[in-house]
Amino acid sequence: MEWLSYLTDFKAMGIEWATFAMFGMLLILLLTGMPLAFVTLLVALIFALGWFGANAVPLITSRIFSFVNSFVFVSVPMFVLMAAILDRSGIARDLFDAMRLVGGRLRGGVAIQTLLVAVVLAAMSGIIGGEVVLLGLIALPQMLRLGYDRKLAIGVCCAGGALGTMIPPSIVLIIYGLTANVSIGDLFTASFLPGLILAGLYCAYILFRAYLNPSLAPVPEAGSIPRAEKLRLLKGLILPVLVVTFVLGSIYGGIASVTEASAVGVFGVTLSTMVRREFSLALLTGAARQTLATVGMIVWIGIGATALVGVFNLMGGIRFVSALITGISDNPTVIILFMMLMLFVLGMFLDWVGIALLTMPIFVPIVVDLGFDPVWFGVVFAMNMQVSFLSPPFGPAAFYLKSVAPKDISLGEIFQALLPFIGLQIFALALLIMFPGITGR
Amino acid sequence: MDQLNEDGDAPSNTSGADPCAGILGRVVNAVGIVFALGILISAGILVLEVFLRYALNRPTIWAHETVIFLNAIAFLFGGLFVASRNAHIRVVLIYDWIATPTRRIFDIWISLACCAATTFFAWAAWQGVKRAVWTPAGDFRLETSGSAWNPPTPGMLKLFLLFILIIMAIQFLIFALSYISRKEH
Amino acid sequence: AQDFALRFQSSDPAGNPNFVLQSEWAASVENLTGGRVTIEMLPVNSIVQHTETQDAVAAGIIDGHITDTSYFSGKDAAFSLIANPVGAWSSPYEMLAFMRDGGGNELMENLVEPYGLHFIGATTPGLEAFVSNKPLNGVDDLKGLKMRAPEGLVQQVFAAAGAVPVNLPGSEVFTSLDKGVIDAADYTVFSTNQAQGLHDVARYPVYPGFHSMPLVEVSMNKDTWEKMPADIQAILELSVRDFANNMIAQLAAKDLKAVAEANANPDITVSNWSAAERNRFRTIATGQWASVASRSENAQKVYDTLTTYLRDQGMTSE
Ligand code: NA
Ligand code: NA
Repeated sequence: MEWLSYLTDFKAMGIEWATFAMFGMLLILLLTGMPLAFVTLLVALIFALGWFGANAVPLITSRIFSFVNSFVFVSVPMFVLMAAILDRSGIARDLFDAMRLVGGRLRGGVAIQTLLVAVVLAAMSGIIGGEVVLLGLIALPQMLRLGYDRKLAIGVCCAGGALGTMIPPSIVLIIYGLTANVSIGDLFTASFLPGLILAGLYCAYILFRAYLNPSLAPVPEAGSIPRAEKLRLLKGLILPVLVVTFVLGSIYGGIASVTEASAVGVFGVTLSTMVRREFSLALLTGAARQTLATVGMIVWIGIGATALVGVFNLMGGIRFVSALITGISDNPTVIILFMMLMLFVLGMFLDWVGIALLTMPIFVPIVVDLGFDPVWFGVVFAMNMQVSFLSPPFGPAAFYLKSVAPKDISLGEIFQALLPFIGLQIFALALLIMFPGITGR
Repeated sequence: MDQLNEDGDAPSNTSGADPCAGILGRVVNAVGIVFALGILISAGILVLEVFLRYALNRPTIWAHETVIFLNAIAFLFGGLFVASRNAHIRVVLIYDWIATPTRRIFDIWISLACCAATTFFAWAAWQGVKRAVWTPAGDFRLETSGSAWNPPTPGMLKLFLLFILIIMAIQFLIFALSYISRKEH
Repeated sequence: AQDFALRFQSSDPAGNPNFVLQSEWAASVENLTGGRVTIEMLPVNSIVQHTETQDAVAAGIIDGHITDTSYFSGKDAAFSLIANPVGAWSSPYEMLAFMRDGGGNELMENLVEPYGLHFIGATTPGLEAFVSNKPLNGVDDLKGLKMRAPEGLVQQVFAAAGAVPVNLPGSEVFTSLDKGVIDAADYTVFSTNQAQGLHDVARYPVYPGFHSMPLVEVSMNKDTWEKMPADIQAILELSVRDFANNMIAQLAAKDLKAVAEANANPDITVSNWSAAERNRFRTIATGQWASVASRSENAQKVYDTLTTYLRDQGMTSE
């Protein structure tokens, strides 16, 4: 009969069982088909009520207010807007047609080029969301049109689009730097090579799959393309390359901050539609409406996660997790591996903001005490967040892609497609732990 | 120009409001354009700010805070907008597999749960609004940002959040009622 | 027995030296009260955002906060003026003297009380250092300087001194300095700036700073405070006083060590303004106080108390 008292006072459960119950409730509600954003919000509400009573509920609305009232997230609608305009104009199609020229003969060439675009986008942005949507709107349909294997194409868009927080600038590393009180410049320098290695692993995987089974990535044309046609196709590259130069130039030339640069990209893309005589008011308003719908989905998923973390922290989550780690072993390597395991499990249920708020304050002092380099650990942390973006059931990159992918692509299929890429991320993570020298530290 | 067609090419918003969203859903969908334009305008403001600062060495004190506000209300309204289209992301692993009559029961309960949660949140938002809109002495003052420009955007945003949560609760209730009244869906 | 299990949220992240000192204070309270009071220090944003802690303490969601008072400037301009009267203090001890003996504590108590909080005491991390990627030796060098300043009064003062204030969130300061989007920034104390690598991208810091010294308040829920027995209340007050002295001394030592480190680095040039230049800046700053004072009755009260105190102490010529 003891469990009956749990229904009226959650505190009777203790934090261990409450944590367990929280994950269980999340999973069950998710499976009912309830919208994800409201699953996390509802669980946060139930635990706020059950553990503290109605007076604690304003903490959730306070977190909603703070979450939307921030400059950091402004780059997300900007990237989505850019994608929506590109999608509505002929620019995206022409870009991918032109890409066939450059890497056309290479098996898997278009997927590789998509990754290249993803790396360039990652250098333009410090947050994920916008890039996955951009690739999902533009690269995914083109790869599907060219007959690429669906899963391969999906994986490239999600994994590539998530690189934004691994390749500098990166908001994950900035938040880590502020928490751990280490140099953000050092973190950026240290994460650059691991970020490229991760992208390189994706590339190698695509080539490997494509050569093993050529039907996964058809080579577009067998015969040679006439010169006039080549020139016409190459013209398709000019405007996108100009826009990218615009944006990267404004960041690295000290003209605009990272978030402002994303608006410069919107401006550049809009100008491009004018140059191509495709511009119309209807195109712009249509793109803006689509942006509203897409960021509505993305932001409310984040809202749910941030609410849940606030409630869990108030329940004493920080102390609980801290005690869990320090009790595990005397062997530093085991502790680091246990942290990785925890990050992996948390990544299944929370977004990175939540994980960072929850674990960084606990992990960093322990890591420093054990004699590890906190900059190295920052890169390890960022790599873990890469995994969390893709891992089911709460995989933000998968949700972002789902919000713009063709209707017949299900969330289940996306997650299946992501499994090999998660494997590659874990492999890269293992490399980082075994060879810390990769970070140059 | 057909409004629906403009959005038509993007798979995610092939439609406007969900048929079960009622008149409210259609109104929310129509009003969406205002907030969508806000996002467009904020992009323009950012570009203007970059130009003023870099070319003329005269940055504004209002650009960033205006952009944050325009995007914040778009984020909040976006949640309602997507709700009225019934297009929030969901995991349909089991949901797709169950028989239609049972699914209707699921739909009813999901909508009611969402309605209850948002009603609760609306009440909670009201607790914050009281402190953002009135001084302890009871005088009206919208909470400002405290910057050199000092706009009342935090107060306005807290009010807007309350408003969105109320409309959202009503929207979910309308969904629940439509599912209850429709035997087939 | 444990009578009060409290949760306090800080406005600093977990690895920040300020947070470490705050956690030590929390532990000391448990010792001093023989375990009757326990305080769990929570890092910034773990429960609510730093600008929302006042509401959360009042609602009893958290029990208290240790935070820069200027985050509540949007509730009442008085918070802005008392939190950071730019140019008023040349050392943390001058500020503490004003708080303890010049009417500062009473002002704070009366300001936060209607909001449902009880003010226990004040501390400060000390004078903030200035970060710049151009050499700055006086007020004239501020002309046209693109600088990030977050809070109202600081921003106003720099504008009045001829600089061009840019609004940027803290998370974009590093990249913007690095790429040259901005020339300089109001950030935090020298040692933390140095640890976070700001001096690697902005090689001309000014130390000691001349522009800003935030008031950090330790406050808690009023009802909970009133439920406490007098001895616990007294312990809390004294422990905060000790915490303030401790914080100032430790952070100053850290700063000096970091300055020595920076001086040894040929790439970094630390500059120190002359007394004359500091006075010029102070004169510009105090001229801006009045405009904040006019924003609310409470702000005017702060202004009057502060200017009277400074005059009585012979710190201003007016
Ligand atoms: Na990036
Ligand atoms: Na995940």
